[in-house]
Amino acid sequence: MATDYDVEFVEREDREARFLVRGVTPAFANGIRRAMVADVPTMAVDTVRFIENSSVMFDEQIALRLGLVPLTTPPEGEFVEDDTVTLSIDVQGPATAYSGDLVSSDDLVQPADENVPIIQLKDDQRLEAEADAIMNHGKNHAKHQGGVAVGYRHLQRVEVVGDLDEFEEQESQIVRGVVEDDGELVPTSEFDHDLANRYPGKEVRLEDVPEAFVFHVETDGSFTVDELVTRAADSIIDRATELEDAVQL
Amino acid sequence: MMVPVRCFTCGNVVGEHWEEFNARADEGDEDPQEVLDELGVDRYCCRRMLVSHTDLVDVVSPYQ
Repeated sequence: MATDYDVEFVEREDREARFLVRGVTPAFANGIRRAMVADVPTMAVDTVRFIENSSVMFDEQIALRLGLVPLTTPPEGEFVEDDTVTLSIDVQGPATAYSGDLVSSDDLVQPADENVPIIQLKDDQRLEAEADAIMNHGKNHAKHQGGVAVGYRHLQRVEVVGDLDEFEEQESQIVRGVVEDDGELVPTSEFDHDLANRYPGKEVRLEDVPEAFVFHVETDGSFTVDELVTRAADSIIDRATELEDAVQL
Repeated sequence: MMVPVRCFTCGNVVGEHWEEFNARADEGDEDPQEVLDELGVDRYCCRRMLVSHTDLVDVVSPYQ
């Protein structure tokens, strides 16, 4: 089955995007969403060896904080699951240790955000540690989850059905997401999510467009939205092929 | 103690915005709502992470 899906971008940035997919079933839309959240592997710190930690936080607390720092994901094929990259940090107080102070052994794996405070160090306090980052899936630990707040809504079609009576007060009609108006896609934020602002004095009706879903995807910085969606689709293909091979006679 | 790295609910990285938010809204006199909007912290789950946070490192550090 090789179907082409009609994909249209509404908003597109590196870390956040909104796009419309037509011709997919609700089950498939949800499959993509789940793949983005749970099945796309990312790098994250998993084991930390402390050489010195005289800060006010315990070793395990700092290890957790290091784990949550997003790391850039190397291109597909460069790494397999359970490969490790070592990042080291050495900060002498008085100073604040930031995620940007992590020095990586591999150029492909770097902290995606440099300004996350790890721990504030006072006089004579020091943090020196080595952290091993591994590749794993979001279903194993939330720190490996590349997609943040991934969701979708039905595309809704607006239809003007008539005029309101001259002295009738118009009630607000709140809608969120993206609406389709004569084939034009309009994010509801353009009219403050209230159809009464866009169609003053009109009576409008909303209905779901079948098999059309507007995805809203954000990433934690491990990769771009494009990368996340393609990798999610690839992971579905991989599992489908695996299943097909497994049940072959 | 230190600001959480990520939002507990959605997993968005919020720690990086703490210092600016603290300087402008908590210690400065800007409106926290406007500062959060400018920082791009949109969802209320992420906003409460910064609004409700208090740094306790200074309080704890004398008791080593």
